[in-house]
Amino acid sequence: MKMSILGLVSALALTTSAVAQEAPEEITIGYLNLVNAQLVTKNLGLVQKYMPGVEINYIKVGGGGDMLRAIAADQIDFGGLGNPPTAIGVARGLPIRGTMVLNMLDFVEAMVVRTDKEIKSFADLEGMTIAAPFGSTTHYLLLQALADEGIDPASMKILDLRPNDIALAWSRGDIDAAWFWEPNLDKTVVDGGNIFMTSGIMAQRGYPTWDVGVVMNEFAEKYPDYVELFIKAECEGIDYWINNPAETAAIIAEELELSLPDATRMMRGTGMVPCSEQLTGLYMGTEEDAGGFVDTLIATSDFLVSQDRLPESPSRETFEDFLVSTWLENVVAGE
Amino acid sequence: MKQTRPTFAERLKEKYLTRSTYLSMTTVIVMFVAWEFVTATGLANKLFLPAPEAVWRAFIKAIVSGYQGNTLQTHVGVSLLRILVAFFAAVLVGIPLGILMGLNRDARALLSPIIEFYRPLPPLGLYTLLVMWLGIGEESKFALLFLAGLPGIIITTTQAIWSIPPIYARAAQALGAGSWDLIRHVYLPAAGPTILAGMRISLGFIYTVLVAAEIVAATAGIGWMIWDAAKFLLSDVVIMGLIVLGLTGVALDMAMRKIGDWLMPWEAKTKQ
Repeated sequence: MKMSILGLVSALALTTSAVAQEAPEEITIGYLNLVNAQLVTKNLGLVQKYMPGVEINYIKVGGGGDMLRAIAADQIDFGGLGNPPTAIGVARGLPIRGTMVLNMLDFVEAMVVRTDKEIKSFADLEGMTIAAPFGSTTHYLLLQALADEGIDPASMKILDLRPNDIALAWSRGDIDAAWFWEPNLDKTVVDGGNIFMTSGIMAQRGYPTWDVGVVMNEFAEKYPDYVELFIKAECEGIDYWINNPAETAAIIAEELELSLPDATRMMRGTGMVPCSEQLTGLYMGTEEDAGGFVDTLIATSDFLVSQDRLPESPSRETFEDFLVSTWLENVVAGE
Repeated sequence: MKQTRPTFAERLKEKYLTRSTYLSMTTVIVMFVAWEFVTATGLANKLFLPAPEAVWRAFIKAIVSGYQGNTLQTHVGVSLLRILVAFFAAVLVGIPLGILMGLNRDARALLSPIIEFYRPLPPLGLYTLLVMWLGIGEESKFALLFLAGLPGIIITTTQAIWSIPPIYARAAQALGAGSWDLIRHVYLPAAGPTILAGMRISLGFIYTVLVAAEIVAATAGIGWMIWDAAKFLLSDVVIMGLIVLGLTGVALDMAMRKIGDWLMPWEAKTKQ
């Protein structure tokens, strides 16, 4: 009894102090294990710079499926999601909002095929074993590409593996092809593989894939200023990436334990969009006039419904409500 | 007073409609009503705890049209095959090893370090290594399930054999029993009930690692279905899968007890 009263008192004390300071004690950022400017922001401590006195925790998350679980379990405040997991999360009513463009996916995500298997077209994949992390951008593109070519996915063996497991299975010779992303992608290319298709080519075919920054609704309601501070830090990271390619490559190399040439190449495979440009029609758009991301999310969720992965597609309004440009607009206006 | 033989219906009633059965049924009903209540009143978030109806619909849908290319029956069948093959392998290896270790102090000293070392290792950690050695196919899944089931059987068998009073063996030997007779007519019957308990525990351990085993590169199996559905936040499928998995576990356990009663009728008698 005594314990619970003590607990109650300290809980009250915490709430009142939080309201008084209007600052979170700590924030947890889940970042995807891929090559984008979040690594720069993390490495340079930019979030910390804008949030003095707040404890910043970074958690590395393997892929979209794991990120969805982390969000559902309320383990992070900020996260990043590719368009398929975003569509899944929004459709299933996860309490999140999209804040900004983290990156556009080009050849940093690609399909690698075993050179000695002579795979020249998607039709050649019949009877082969192909791996992709299910529910991710690349799994979506693989199924989309097969659908476009009129090839039955059942004519090949498509396995669900996480990126590091793909690299492991590849080195053992268990799989013939895989569509996934750096930094693990390179391990397969140097080990008897060659790039057959990239996510950038699929973007030109009308299937753009990207990662969007998300924030938990509860956090955004409690600390809207801190959402803007977070975006500000990430925008600075993106600008740094664009303006200082050499230094950025060094940071990527350090963060992902890569060689400098590898880091430089992977960097080029990722599209970075300056924050002011993110408010244009191709990307987030503005609060009044939503951009192309909404169309991508609709197309993605329709596709997932056709794959029996989602019960039904959310409405256009649901996706427009999900993408909140206001914070980004404030940040860009304040620059 | 003349004692009449109980009729079939009476025997059935006596056997199945006991106080324990009623109490167990009460637990199930209370849990179900609570589930229905928290979902119907909106106390629970639908995303995390869907209503019983939604789970039932997911169940019917999985049976009729399947989940990602395979019907629920196939998923359950694939998993049960993995479980049973691993379990029988664990029994075939574990019981002889357990008897050996129970009878022979040197064998125990030689083998126990291996078992004691890997037994507490988390299955996922062990699995990474197994995938590296055996690949992403059935071999690594079988190995993980087998290794999960093995220690329980070995340890209980060893313990059971070891605690049989030596006088039993000596009495049998005095009557001219050979070592095979000893095992068949003294050790196994005396240790049987404890070995059976070990087998049930071991089956439970195999169940606990099933989802872990089916995470890597499976395309069918009830564990894979649960894992895959979680990725797409299909919580109705997740809960349905867990219930189905649990029920198969209960059914297998009951089957094992029945087999135990049949193999060791003296044990079933003493319980009554």
